Amino acid sequence: MKRMISGLLAMFGLVPARRHQLLEERVEQAKRAAQEWKARASESMARAGKLEADLKQQTRHAQRSELYVTKMRERRESLRTRLIEAERELMVAREHLMAIEVKLDILEGAANVLDVRTRAAISQPHNQTSARA
Amino acid sequence: MLTGRNDGYGGDFHARLLRTLRFNHRELVARGITHEFVFVEWAPPVERPSLRDVLFDAAPELDRDRFAWYVVDPMYQTALSLNPRLEYLEFLAKNVGVRRARGQFVLTSNCDVYFGRRVLDAIGASELKPRVLYRAPRHDLNLSATSVPDWETLEDPASLAGPAHVLKPPFMGSATGDFAMLDRESFHEISGFNEVYRVARIGIDRNLLVKVLSSGFTIADIGGPVYHENHEGSYRLNPRAYEGRETEAPWGDRRWHSGGVGYVNPPTWGLQRAPARRLEDGAVRLDFTWEAVPSLVDLRGVVLPAARRGGPIPSQYVRKR
Repeated sequence: MKRMISGLLAMFGLVPARRHQLLEERVEQAKRAAQEWKARASESMARAGKLEADLKQQTRHAQRSELYVTKMRERRESLRTRLIEAERELMVAREHLMAIEVKLDILEGAANVLDVRTRAAISQPHNQTSARA
Repeated sequence: MLTGRNDGYGGDFHARLLRTLRFNHRELVARGITHEFVFVEWAPPVERPSLRDVLFDAAPELDRDRFAWYVVDPMYQTALSLNPRLEYLEFLAKNVGVRRARGQFVLTSNCDVYFGRRVLDAIGASELKPRVLYRAPRHDLNLSATSVPDWETLEDPASLAGPAHVLKPPFMGSATGDFAMLDRESFHEISGFNEVYRVARIGIDRNLLVKVLSSGFTIADIGGPVYHENHEGSYRLNPRAYEGRETEAPWGDRRWHSGGVGYVNPPTWGLQRAPARRLEDGAVRLDFTWEAVPSLVDLRGVVLPAARRGGPIPSQYVRKR
């Protein structure tokens, strides 16, 4: 019987009051859910916007860092080249220093030998020298 | 190529010389190795009999024809010396021999060195190459024998006076004076041992290695050791004996930069201009003349080694004073 009445009402586009109330509640619920989702979507959009901005900032930062790294690499290479050059120059300087010290040894030795020879020559009696009378 | 004189160096000089000569001669003959001993009697003391008289009297079996014997006037020692503490200009004496040696290869060694088995085998195999300086590590031995030692004694680890020397490339240094072998032509090309630096005896042999590498030659281990008979007065027994007063050492200041400089000897190296006179016993005496004496100072003869063109670094600078 209940079903027949409901069928007749439905033919005229009507529903029972309880059902109407129930449907209204559902509509309200759906509206609230929609609002909620809308809010969430806005929130997400805002977050996405923020993240996008962050990404742009990080990208800029990464680019700056990359430039910095490249610059540092170049600087490192330049320092390495300078170090190799300095080491080579140091080696050459040391070689020269060694050669100079060896030459000084020879000069010192010669000076000592000549000193001994000169003293011996001076100590000789006059009649044994070739000095003119 | 050996050098010495009858001055009792190291206490028992001619007995050691006799033992090593007998041993080396016997082993060279046994392997059929054609050889000649070039002996330079450098500045012999006038008050003593000549070393060759002592030697050949004691060992009549030694064939005089196997020896090219040179006696160098003592005046050369005085005229050439740049350090009165050096009583024996060993490497100038060796240059006299190197300059006049006739063999295809010239081996400079010392009067207390026995050639090892592998050394003799390598020489006997006739596979030595030109432009290669051959080196042998030295094993120092405490030998109590008064006769020629046998192989068993020489090769007995118990005879070793200490750890055996090891040759480290590229220089293969360590006791180079005891064994340096090079073809005669190359020895002439490098003009022998350093004659410009006559302030020290120590390190001149090491300096030869710098010259050899700078000249584009190579240095190789011949493959086995030589045996050195320890004796009193040897530098090896107490290298630090003159620590703190290095300039007073009878071998000169060991701190000189022997591993860091090259040299260019005068073209008359090895007393080329010394007048030679044949003595009655067949020895050749080099008489004194100032003509044969190089300048007291030849600073242009001290040069930088050519190591920087890709070669090994010869030495680290060590501050002396």
